[in-house]
Amino acid sequence: MSPTLLRTAICLAMAASAAAVQAAPPTAQGRPAATASTAATPAIDPKAVAALEKMGKYLRTLKNFELKGDTTLEVVDDSGQKLQFPGTVQYQVRPPTGMKLTVKTDRKEREFFYDGKTFTVYGPKNKYYASVDAPPTLHGLIEVARDQYGIELPLPDLFLWGTPDAPTSALTGARFIGPARIDGTVTEQYAFRQDGVDWQLWLEQGDKPLPRRLVITTTDDPAQPQYAADLTWNTNATFKDSAFTFVPPKDAARIQLVEVDVVAVEEDK
Amino acid sequence: MNIHKPVVVLAALCAVTIGLLYTAPADAIQRGARTGINHAHAGGGGARAANVNRPANAGHAANANRGHPANVDHNRDVNRNVNRDVNRNVNRDVHRDIDVDVDVDNHWHDGWYDHPVATAAAVTTAAVVTSAVIGSIVYSVPPSCVTSVINGIAYQQCGNTWYQPQYAGTTVQYIVVNPPG
Repeated sequence: MSPTLLRTAICLAMAASAAAVQAAPPTAQGRPAATASTAATPAIDPKAVAALEKMGKYLRTLKNFELKGDTTLEVVDDSGQKLQFPGTVQYQVRPPTGMKLTVKTDRKEREFFYDGKTFTVYGPKNKYYASVDAPPTLHGLIEVARDQYGIELPLPDLFLWGTPDAPTSALTGARFIGPARIDGTVTEQYAFRQDGVDWQLWLEQGDKPLPRRLVITTTDDPAQPQYAADLTWNTNATFKDSAFTFVPPKDAARIQLVEVDVVAVEEDK
Repeated sequence: MNIHKPVVVLAALCAVTIGLLYTAPADAIQRGARTGINHAHAGGGGARAANVNRPANAGHAANANRGHPANVDHNRDVNRNVNRDVNRNVNRDVHRDIDVDVDVDNHWHDGWYDHPVATAAAVTTAAVVTSAVIGSIVYSVPPSCVTSVINGIAYQQCGNTWYQPQYAGTTVQYIVVNPPG
């Protein structure tokens, strides 16, 4: 390229980028440009939002399903170093009144039972169980478990997507990233942002848009710890009605499940 | 070491902030990633059954339209969410006090990954103590304690001291109680 041509090319490039900066809204720029200006208003791609809504709608149609999750939780320690802790989650669900959940990590194992009337926490190794009256729906249980008993059931979003409690109005960013293969299945990767969290979702292609992977990045923490879950589904599970009702083993002992408020009162004493 | 010092305030604070995956000692500054994006708001915690089917939008009108014309009201949820999680913390040192038998889970610590902190706190303070106060809370009891079930309630008897286990969140705590009669 001759010097003259080179100058011309540079001038054209500069002019073009200047025009882009002045004229184009962030959404009209190519992906690299949008990435470069992350501080600007993130784009909300209606197609990404539609995919999220479609998934939520589909999840709410499931009648009897099993779900296994391989999870990784990051914790930021005193020094600012992130540590990872793996675990597994196994749900058996018959909405809206049946749920059995097993959660395991290297340090704890718990089972949870919900049959529309009673919520039970059981430690298979310590043999302690606690049962309390429960709300009439799983959706209500998620809230009561969290607010009243301080138990955050894992992957709550799986039960909230497709309901008013997962409003797409909270999104400040929504993008389609591209196709991705998870465990042999072709999925579509999406990236979303909202206050406090950036999150990514991998949805199966086709008419059964199951979430196969979820990554949540906590953005209001400077270390930005992440939680990731790989999900395996069985949407045609069969359960006995008794599957969701806890029957204490002979050697199990009943203890109390403390209400968060009760504990707070004790604190004042 | 038979008797553990009560760590009442610390324990209570821990219990308040418990999540399934988190337990938060008051003085810890570590924190875990959030594990959920959205929060259920089916109704109030107190009158649970009555409110479960209340439309999620009810009662949130004050926050309508803040920057989100398409939908109403959940700004409140987002803020609340943030506050909850920011205060959660965990784990000073996973390998600390590894000999403490908590919860009989794997003969390791109680806590999905976190409880070692609470254990450590309880045990650390235990060293300087000589008596257990009724109503105080510890996160572990000595291995020499004996499990007794009296009137359907489980206790741990450790010499003259009786503990009543309870779940605070998913973590087992032991409250010092009067000997059951």
